[in-house]
Amino acid sequence: MIRPDMLVDAVIFSNLLALMSIGLALTYMTLKVPNFAHGDFVALGAYASYSLFALAGLNAYLGLPLAFLVSGGVALLLYVAVFKPLNKRGASIVAMMIASIALEVILRSAMHIYADIMTTATPPDIFFRGFIVPEPFALQLGSIRLSGLLIGSSLLVAGLVLGLHFALSKTRFGVAMRAAIENPSLASTLGVNVSLVYAVSWFLAGGLAGIAGALLPIKLPCSPETGWDFLLRIFAASILGGFESIYGAVLGGYIIGFAEVLGAYLLAQPPLCLSTAYRPAIPFIILIATLLIAPRGLTSVNWREVVQRLGIRSSLRVRRESL
Amino acid sequence: MIPGIADPIRFILDFAVLFAVYSILSISLNLEYGYTGIPNFGKVLFFAGGAFVVGSLTARLAMPLAGISFNPEKFCTENVKLTYMVSQFFAANPHIAIALFLLLILLAVGVSALLGYLASYPAIRLREDYLGITLLAAGELVRIIARNYEPIVCGTLGISVPNPFAWLSGRTQDLMYIAVMFTAAIGIWIYTERLSRSPYGRMLRALRDNELAAEALGKCGVSIRMQTLVLGSAMAGLAGALYAYYTGAVYADDYVPIRTFLVWVMVIIGGAGNNSGAALGALIYVFMDRMIGQYKYYVPVPFDINYLSYIILGVVLIAMLMYRPGGILPEKPSKTIDFEKIAARFRKNLSAREA
Repeated sequence: MIRPDMLVDAVIFSNLLALMSIGLALTYMTLKVPNFAHGDFVALGAYASYSLFALAGLNAYLGLPLAFLVSGGVALLLYVAVFKPLNKRGASIVAMMIASIALEVILRSAMHIYADIMTTATPPDIFFRGFIVPEPFALQLGSIRLSGLLIGSSLLVAGLVLGLHFALSKTRFGVAMRAAIENPSLASTLGVNVSLVYAVSWFLAGGLAGIAGALLPIKLPCSPETGWDFLLRIFAASILGGFESIYGAVLGGYIIGFAEVLGAYLLAQPPLCLSTAYRPAIPFIILIATLLIAPRGLTSVNWREVVQRLGIRSSLRVRRESL
Repeated sequence: MIPGIADPIRFILDFAVLFAVYSILSISLNLEYGYTGIPNFGKVLFFAGGAFVVGSLTARLAMPLAGISFNPEKFCTENVKLTYMVSQFFAANPHIAIALFLLLILLAVGVSALLGYLASYPAIRLREDYLGITLLAAGELVRIIARNYEPIVCGTLGISVPNPFAWLSGRTQDLMYIAVMFTAAIGIWIYTERLSRSPYGRMLRALRDNELAAEALGKCGVSIRMQTLVLGSAMAGLAGALYAYYTGAVYADDYVPIRTFLVWVMVIIGGAGNNSGAALGALIYVFMDRMIGQYKYYVPVPFDINYLSYIILGVVLIAMLMYRPGGILPEKPSKTIDFEKIAARFRKNLSAREA
């Protein structure tokens, strides 16, 4: 049976995935290139906030601003130093994808080096690989104990979606951002600073991934490979959500999160009895199914038409049966 | 000789064999990316496919022939011993050893080609980025399955591969390995070179440079890309099979995505669209890798120096993409008759007709 604590896990996992996927959507919208280094922004955030926690003994939530700044700063640096010049030189999509894979390897290796150095430099009871952070606070409602992470991450995602919706539709900068994403050359002739808008997108994307990363060690042990492990899930959630939509990214994050947490549990039950090591197969299967059925994601599907077609078919069937 | 090397012949042998394996991989990626423009980010999947076929089947197929009885339940825990017995059997029966070797290489190539078809099927009709993501994910998934599902390559234990040249002794065996590897690598090189100069090769480049124009001339982009991917995957399968035979063991965790990255580094640094460039890239990488392996313990740093080498390779790769996208040996214009010559002949014909 599915227990309530599994649902809590699924919601937290989905919230974190949604944060990561929103960031990926923000960067994909700008240059139309999937950023393979996005997972490493997550791991960077985890390392930034964990270092603060382990070395200075601060509350894990106090590391959030640092994680936001570090990951956002690195994302901004990558955009300014690599993707912007490559785009200016007219590099193809494939060339920019290769560059992002190279950046992924660079960031991951740098974190490995950091973990190696810190492990030798700090006392042996502080871990820099496979580290976890205790839950900073929990709400006690009578006999029910509510995880602080559940409340915090849910509020974060809800606030973020509302905030982004407001910023993109009501503020001058948000409208300029949408214009620059829709048609960069037209927007720049109308005086929009396209590269500033893109830079803000990248900073925000990295920052959100960093926050997700800072919250991750409360739930899962983290290491330099965490970013790579999450990359496939982030891509699956983003493609499922249509890659270019913030609401789609949240929806995709929730579907992948629930499918993974509950699916891994159900697959381990008697009829199949599969090891939970196969858990990464679940987002992969969803990814393949999305590409085969609706390659442009759930947000691109014309649901009214689908319903109409299904409706017509079922009414035909009814008519045939009545004849 | 180079200081610090105990056995120079072994060093040269390792170097040569790794170079042959990596140049097959980089030439196959060059066919896919350099000539056709396919972002194959799952190269390691097809390399692993070949290695897994050889690893899982060589001993299992040879044991009934050799009359070795074994308990299938304990195959994984006893496979080192069983593999040793199979190698002894090969030493006594060279013809069976060679026949099995060739059969398994063919099977490895076939399985990798099939994997190439299956892994690219969901996304081959979509934009390049979707194809790249799908191939990357498929490569990681196959490793996870191989690591956890014991019947393939015994999960995390790994599986030993019997020595197909056990009937040769000492240095002759090493020479045999080198001969086989280089025959394969040179064969692949000649095949790809001829293919790229044939009408088919020109069609691949036309598709890469302007898909719309190529389709307007009746070339189907989807099926050509699929054919190229299957062909490239088959070559990677050959490399994987040879690598598994040479190293004598297959571990699922040896086939990590960083290998895909390394092959990309070779092709981009050496020169995409030029087979000599791809081979040069492989040579540069293998040289660097062997040097690091040889001297890493002499450098006193508090971390694994391999990570530093990945960072350097990544930086070099990005610098190449920015400042020299053609690589060290850029793509050459295709070898056709000089335009001036054609024009001169045309003018001559024209003037002859007027006269």
